[in-house]
This record gives sequence, structure tokens and C-alpha cells, in this order.
Amino acid sequence: MKVSKLVKLGLLAGASMTFLSACGNSGGSSESNSKEIVFWNPFTGADSANIKNMIDDYNKTNPEFKVKNVSMKEGDMYSKIPTVVNSGKNIPDLNIVHAERIKQYKDNNMLTSFEGLLEDYSEIKAENYVPEAWNLGELDGERYSLPLDIHNWGTYYNKELLAKYAPNALDDNILTFDEIVEAGKLASKDDIRGIALTWVKPNYMATLGQEGGQLSENGIDPTLDTEESKAAIGKWNELYEEGVSTKDGEDPNQLFLSGKLLFLPEGIWLQNIINGAEFDWGLTNAPQLSDDMSQVINWSSSHQFVMFNNEDRSDEKTKGILDFIDWVRTNSLEWAKAGQNPATLDILNNEEYQKMPQSFFINSEEEQNTLKIFDYKYNGYVSEYLESHGFDALFSKVSIEDFTSGLQKEVSDKISKDNTNK
Amino acid sequence: MGTTMTLDKKKSKKITPWLFLAPHLIIFAIFFFIPVIFGIYISFTNWDLFNTPTFIGLDNYKELFFNSDSTFYEQLRIGLKNTFKFVIFSVPFCIAVPLLLASALNTKPKLAKIFQSIFYMPSLFAISAVVIIWKLIFNVNYGPVNNILNTDTPWTGTQPYAWIALVVVTVWWTIGGNMIIYQSALSGISKDFYEAADIDGATAVQKFFKITLPAIKGQILYTVVMTTIAQFNIYGQPLMLTEGGPNNSTRVLLMYIQQNAFGSGQSIAGIASAMAVVLGICIMCVSAIQFKFLKVED
Repeated sequence: MKVSKLVKLGLLAGASMTFLSACGNSGGSSESNSKEIVFWNPFTGADSANIKNMIDDYNKTNPEFKVKNVSMKEGDMYSKIPTVVNSGKNIPDLNIVHAERIKQYKDNNMLTSFEGLLEDYSEIKAENYVPEAWNLGELDGERYSLPLDIHNWGTYYNKELLAKYAPNALDDNILTFDEIVEAGKLASKDDIRGIALTWVKPNYMATLGQEGGQLSENGIDPTLDTEESKAAIGKWNELYEEGVSTKDGEDPNQLFLSGKLLFLPEGIWLQNIINGAEFDWGLTNAPQLSDDMSQVINWSSSHQFVMFNNEDRSDEKTKGILDFIDWVRTNSLEWAKAGQNPATLDILNNEEYQKMPQSFFINSEEEQNTLKIFDYKYNGYVSEYLESHGFDALFSKVSIEDFTSGLQKEVSDKISKDNTNK
Repeated sequence: MGTTMTLDKKKSKKITPWLFLAPHLIIFAIFFFIPVIFGIYISFTNWDLFNTPTFIGLDNYKELFFNSDSTFYEQLRIGLKNTFKFVIFSVPFCIAVPLLLASALNTKPKLAKIFQSIFYMPSLFAISAVVIIWKLIFNVNYGPVNNILNTDTPWTGTQPYAWIALVVVTVWWTIGGNMIIYQSALSGISKDFYEAADIDGATAVQKFFKITLPAIKGQILYTVVMTTIAQFNIYGQPLMLTEGGPNNSTRVLLMYIQQNAFGSGQSIAGIASAMAVVLGICIMCVSAIQFKFLKVED
């Protein structure tokens, strides 16, 4: 074989190897001995700039371990996590996950406990965080996560339309279903929608809680085909049947921004979009069954810091991770600018934060108590069903009974495949 | 010495083609062959992606085919039915429309190149961008379709409009690929045939069916099979445009597979893999039948 031929073949093989190796490590963990904390998070929306700014600010403080931001799509991140943790390679040093995922990860022995690691961080303690966001990180007496925020569901409203159709509805800052129906009927005469039928999961779960129901009584088996469950989904279906809600196929955000919608139940994180409205708007609690403040429930979730098991994570790096989390505790204003409510109570001392619409959910203990995180281990299965079939029930395409019995059956069948309870 | 050189030559002759094939073979093995084998193995297990897969033999398949009380039995039934429906509704249009456009462009009208670019351009878009465009077009309140027709039809939320919307979007998105194949095939047909047909007094329709179609039968077979396989893998359009609704009527099998394997809840990868294997077998069977019926006679 001629030398030139050998060179050509060598180049060919080399090129193919190079191509294949390029398909490999992307955004994986840093080397165990590197001075870098690889931080995976699902912030790819409007909040991606805020998390990047926060990390830049932290890195400017010249910490021993700088944070490398790796934001990826939520679905991609949750698909990658089991793969990297199982393989033991490219495990991120620090991760943000949603509150609802933590029990599942813990039961699969994937999480590193913070027990014993917080001794040098006396301010990372329950008293300094919103209780609902802090408490869920403690499972079987051990701490597996630390909270970044508590983001919840509320109701945006058009102040001009409110003054016209329901001037006294929000005197107590509680919007009841009865008030929605009353205002919606008046508004519909002028071709204005009373309320938007939006993301079914938070609407259903909050109302289920208000009805006195729960996703599961024992934490494993679902209790979703109950009278409370039927009443909860039925309450939202009633709004459609009464003709006071948005119709099938309508875009709630578009209607709200064009001044054709009075109440928009949505997440506090939507403010970047709502800010585009050319009218005065306000933010209040999510729709309630009762105007008794002690009965108010607002669906919430939380972004939590977790560390997945990684034998290569050194004690020094773990300390670097906790330094960062402790810094976030007193430097969360940037995260609030994304429309979020930081979980740290330190934020309450910030004047700029106090002017933000979402701050009222954290400002008083009374309001903090309305925030409820539904951290049922199989919340994901419930979500899947609600997202697939919720609007069919809301728009009367299936009966309430069929909807709840289907919900119970599907979630039960999926749970039966899980070996971690056996 | 001479013998050694001959042996070296023989060896290099044997090894050279494999070295050229190596990049493709390596990629084929890593991204297709190994995942397929692994997927088939997973279909015989109960696995959540976290823990070690538990071998359960044919249990997943028994549940999918014989346990009528199971959610997964129902999912397979609904998913396969809707997938087949979509294939039946969309493939004829995905073949006929590009063929007609290619035939029209083959007559070299004015601005042919511009029209060709316009027809081909949607193929370059990501499905998410395509769906965003069409969601705006079908928007109940502000969409041009309802404005022109003066209706308030929820196109993506009621039947039969949801299927119509899905087919329209799919045809618009996929016109380009097949059209280019047909154009190159049509340009290869000798003009002598058409001139002879003109002399015999054949109409345009007769020329199309008697000359054009038989001449590009091979390309039609290829595009029918490839388009069918592509449409069996329908996922993005119903996921984003109709979200599987109304009442599961456009929820296709890949949506169930994805949700079971990589949904919000803990993964049920065993069942999802079994569903994927069933879908794969269906695609192979349909492709084999198509080859049988459309086979070009040597």
C-alpha cells in the first residue's frame, strides 16, 4: 500500500472519529478536580437571561469555584438526568429540579443528602425561607434539596374591565367563582370574556385542595375519582357552561392583551408577557370557592437545588456549591425580576422587590400559607392525564364522570409499573 | 519478496472498501443498530430508566394485546388507529400534490424557479415554526381562515376539522422533498415520447397517465414508501397543533410512546419500547405490501 493511500485512509478514519467524538460530551460535569461548578437548570425561556445574570454576578465575586451555567429545555434535561446518573459520567455538580420530581429521585437513591453539610452555613435554615418551599426538601428526616423560589398560580385582571363589570369583587383581594360568573355574564353582553380557561393542572389542583380533596391519601395510591375531584373539574366546566369563559381554540393571552378578557389565571412568571399590555393590570389570588382567607389555596411549585450522587464530587467542590446557594439566599432580586418569587425571606427587605406585583404572595404569613405545592410522588402521571384530557372535560367534550374515572385508572395503571414501592 | 507484496496488495484490497465504509457503519451501528437491539430487549423488561431493567418476558406484549382493562391496551389501540388514519389521509396528498406541482413546473412556465423555491421553502422549516405559522392561520379569533370564511370554527379543536388541519399542514410542510424527486425524474423523460403522442392526438391527461406516470414509476414507488414511513412517524404536528385532541381523536402512537418513556412522570420504558416495536413491525409490514404492489417490473 502506498504511503499516500495510508495517509488518506488515516485521515478518513480520523475524520470519522472526530465527528463521532463531537457527538459526545456536551454540557456534562466538570472534572472532579476542576474549579468549576457545572450547573444544570431548565431555564430557557424569558428567565434564562436572569439566571445568567445571577451567575455572572456570583462569578464576579471571585469564588474559588466558579459556576458554569448550562440551561437546557426542561424535557431534555429530565430525559438526560437518569442517563447521566446511571452512567456515572457527566453528572452535573449542581442541578435545579422541580419540587414534584424530588420524591421520585429520592426513592431511586439518586440524590445526595445535605445532612451534615449545612453546619458551616447557619443561615441556610427553615426560618429564612418560605415554609412551603423549605419543607418539601425534607424527606424521611433528611434534607435532599434547597429552594431557589416558590412560583405560583394567580389571576391577572384588567383594571379597566374590573371597574366596569366587578367593581367590588377584589375589595378583599380574593376572587371567587361566584364573582367570576356574575362579572362574566355582564361582560359577555359586550363580547368580553369573563375568565380564561388556561393550564388545567394548577386550576384543577388548587380547586381540588379547596374542595378538601387530595391527589393521594397515603402518598402512593391516587384518590382522583372522588366527589371532590369531580367538583373541582366540574367547577371549571361550569364557567364554560355558563358562557363566561374563553371558548375552545381561543388564545387567552392574546385576548387579555387585546383588552377582550377580564380575568386571566396564569403563573406569576408570565409577567414579562403581561407587561406588554397597554392598560392597567393587576395580579391577585387564583380563583377560590370561598372568600375566607384561611381557606384560600394557590397552586405552587418550586425550583429546588439538588446534587445528584456523584463519587467524583470532592468535599471542596461541595463546599463551593453551598457557597453559591448561600450567596443566592441574599442575592435573589435578579430572579424576582423574572417574575418569580424567591424562596428566601431576605428578599422581603428589598424595596425594589416590594414594588413587584407578585411580592404580595410572600409579603404576609397569611398569603404565604395559601401557597400549596402538590408534591405527590406521581404528580407527573396526574399532569400527563390533565394535559391530555383536561380541556376535553372543560369544554364538555367528555363527561366529568368519565374524566375522573379515566384519570384514576390511568394513574393507577402507570403506578403499577413502578417497582420502587414493592 | 514478490509473494509478500502480492499478499499485501490482496490485504489492502480487502481492507480498503471497509475503511471507506467505516464512518457510515460506525454511525449506523451507534445511532441505529445498537439502539434498535437495545430497544427490543427493553420491550421485554419493566424499566424506569433509573433502576436495573427487570426481565418480564412477554408480559408487556400480553398487556398491550390481550388485557382490555389496561390503559396501555387502550393507548395502543387509539394510537395505532389514529396513526393509520393519518397515514391514509395524508400520504395520497403528499404524493399527488408534489407530483402535480412538479408536472406543472416541468412545463417551464414563467418564474418557474421562483415558484419552485416557494414550494420547496417550507421543507426547510422546523416543525415547531411550521405549527406556529399555521396556528396563527387557524386562530379562532384573529386567524385569516375564519376571517375569510366569516366563521368562528375552532379548526384544531373539533372534528373533522382537526384532521383537515393536520393534513393541510403536513402537505404544505413536506411538498418540497417529493417535488424535487419528481422534477428530476420528469426532466429525464425523453421529449420524443410526448412529440409522438402529440402527433397521435393524445390529450394532456392521456400523456400524463400513459407516458409520464409509467416513466417515473420507480420514483413514485420510492416516494410512496418513504412518505408512508415518514407519516407513520407522525409526532410533531398533532403534539403541537391539536395536542392529541379533541378527545384523543388525533393522539398518535408516538405521542403515547414519548409520554410513557419520557413524560412528566416516572418512565415506563418497557411498555413504551414494546409499543415502539409494534409500530416498527407495522411500518415494515406496510412497506413490504407497498413494495409488492408497486414493484417495478424488470
